[in-house]
Amino acid sequence: MDPQVKATLQPREGLLFSAVRRGVRGFGGLGHRILGGVETSRRIGAFTLITLGTLATKFGTSSRVIRPLVQQEILRSGVKVLPIVCFLGMALGLVIVGQTVLLLVQVGQTQLMGPLLVTVVVRELGPLTVAMVVLARVGTAAVTELGTARAVGEVEALEAMGIDPIHYLVVPRLIGFTVSIVSLTVYMVMTALLAGYLVAFLRGFPMGLGEYFRVIADAVSWVDFPLLALKTLAFGMLTSLIICYHGLAEAMRLEDVGHATTKTMAHTMVACLFVDALFLPVYFLI
Amino acid sequence: MEPPVIEMLDVTVVHPRSPRLPLITGVNWKVAEGECWVVTGLQGSGKTALLETAAGLHPYLGGEVRVFGVVVPGNEGGELEKIRRRIGMVFDGAGRLFSSRTVFENVALPLCYHGNHGLDEVADEVMEFLARFGLAAMADQPAGRLGRAWAHRAALARALILRPGLLLVDNPLTGLDASHSRWWRSFLLELLAGHPKFGGKPMTLILATDDPKALLGVGGRFAVTHGGRWRCVGGRSEFEGCEDPDLRDLLHDSD
Repeated sequence: MDPQVKATLQPREGLLFSAVRRGVRGFGGLGHRILGGVETSRRIGAFTLITLGTLATKFGTSSRVIRPLVQQEILRSGVKVLPIVCFLGMALGLVIVGQTVLLLVQVGQTQLMGPLLVTVVVRELGPLTVAMVVLARVGTAAVTELGTARAVGEVEALEAMGIDPIHYLVVPRLIGFTVSIVSLTVYMVMTALLAGYLVAFLRGFPMGLGEYFRVIADAVSWVDFPLLALKTLAFGMLTSLIICYHGLAEAMRLEDVGHATTKTMAHTMVACLFVDALFLPVYFLI
Repeated sequence: MEPPVIEMLDVTVVHPRSPRLPLITGVNWKVAEGECWVVTGLQGSGKTALLETAAGLHPYLGGEVRVFGVVVPGNEGGELEKIRRRIGMVFDGAGRLFSSRTVFENVALPLCYHGNHGLDEVADEVMEFLARFGLAAMADQPAGRLGRAWAHRAALARALILRPGLLLVDNPLTGLDASHSRWWRSFLLELLAGHPKFGGKPMTLILATDDPKALLGVGGRFAVTHGGRWRCVGGRSEFEGCEDPDLRDLLHDSD
């Protein structure tokens, strides 16, 4: 072969080969990540079962110690987060609900107002936003606290005293976060709808507050209540369990705590969105 | 006949963070009630891991560990928790107290948890206990603010509040000034003689240290971990008269 042609071909072969190799490596990396994700999900599942088992078998045990811890968690992840949730609810109402309502009035489609607000605010944005706020505001601090306790050996100290760390550290957070997310979602939805009405009213919305809420209430199906409760319950449990898993389940050093926090954020967001998607077929059937 | 307090049969103690990495092999050890053992060895020789294995806190490779006649770990659940209530463990350094909680809350925790009591119900008992340890004035301080010596003493109070039958102490005298060292030695001797606060029965003690000379007057029996091996040396006279170069080296280090 002509050396010039050969020289032209060689880099092309090299490029092709390296592209294929990169592709294979990319698929390998993807496979590795998928398997890693499956393994993490399996471990979190096992951790969930252990926690629920502990909750069931030790229900009422050492209640004089556990109850104040639950109250402390509700205060931290619920009461103290309420102002932020209300503020975000107002922002959501001003930016999304108010504009949507006015737009529907402009195009003469006010009959869509109820179903639209129920779908966007009550079913989707409310629960998901609250879960993310609690995760960002309290979850990161909780995983750091638990991770540090694990790294400096406080968890072993609990075990040495015959205190089950799952019962003492995880159960109060599980109950506290779940109660907080369920309750805060109600506040978020109500604030968003009220703020939305306020904007629309100021822009000449031709409907009274009572009628506005009646239209929304008419669009709410009875199934929405148990589904909303179930979804917020799932978000609360997922958030708390993933936080506690990353903080406690693996042996770590102090320098690993930051990484555990980042992983917790990513895993909780993915898990909440995944669970949210699982509810879609049910909503389509309503 | 009462079973030994601790019985280890051909146990391989592993690294706490790497459960597949052996630290000490072939541990055969029996601790009878009321005995005081001093486990010594150079830093990193596995003394802490041995203590934590004896307390049922870590898995081990091969062999069998029995505490109060019960195999640990392996009896997960209620039985292991009951066994742990009979063991007091004082960890190295600041004793792994919960730094954000007060000294009072730290010491009261085992009592409140196992007895299902509120803090107010155990306040008198805990304050009396803290006074015995010279900690009454620091009861309301967060444990994280205590100096190392006082934190170690608070950890001892926490370990003893449930009146255990066996006390394991990791490095009791390391980093203490003369006054604290004297207090510790005298308190350990009181426990050995049968402290009235703890039922008047001699308490079984296991003390791990890298400075065995400081505990020569306390320990009744001595054992050494060196180079991944375990060796029960015997009483004080055998320990001091031992011609093993490794042991001589260890005793020489503490001079």
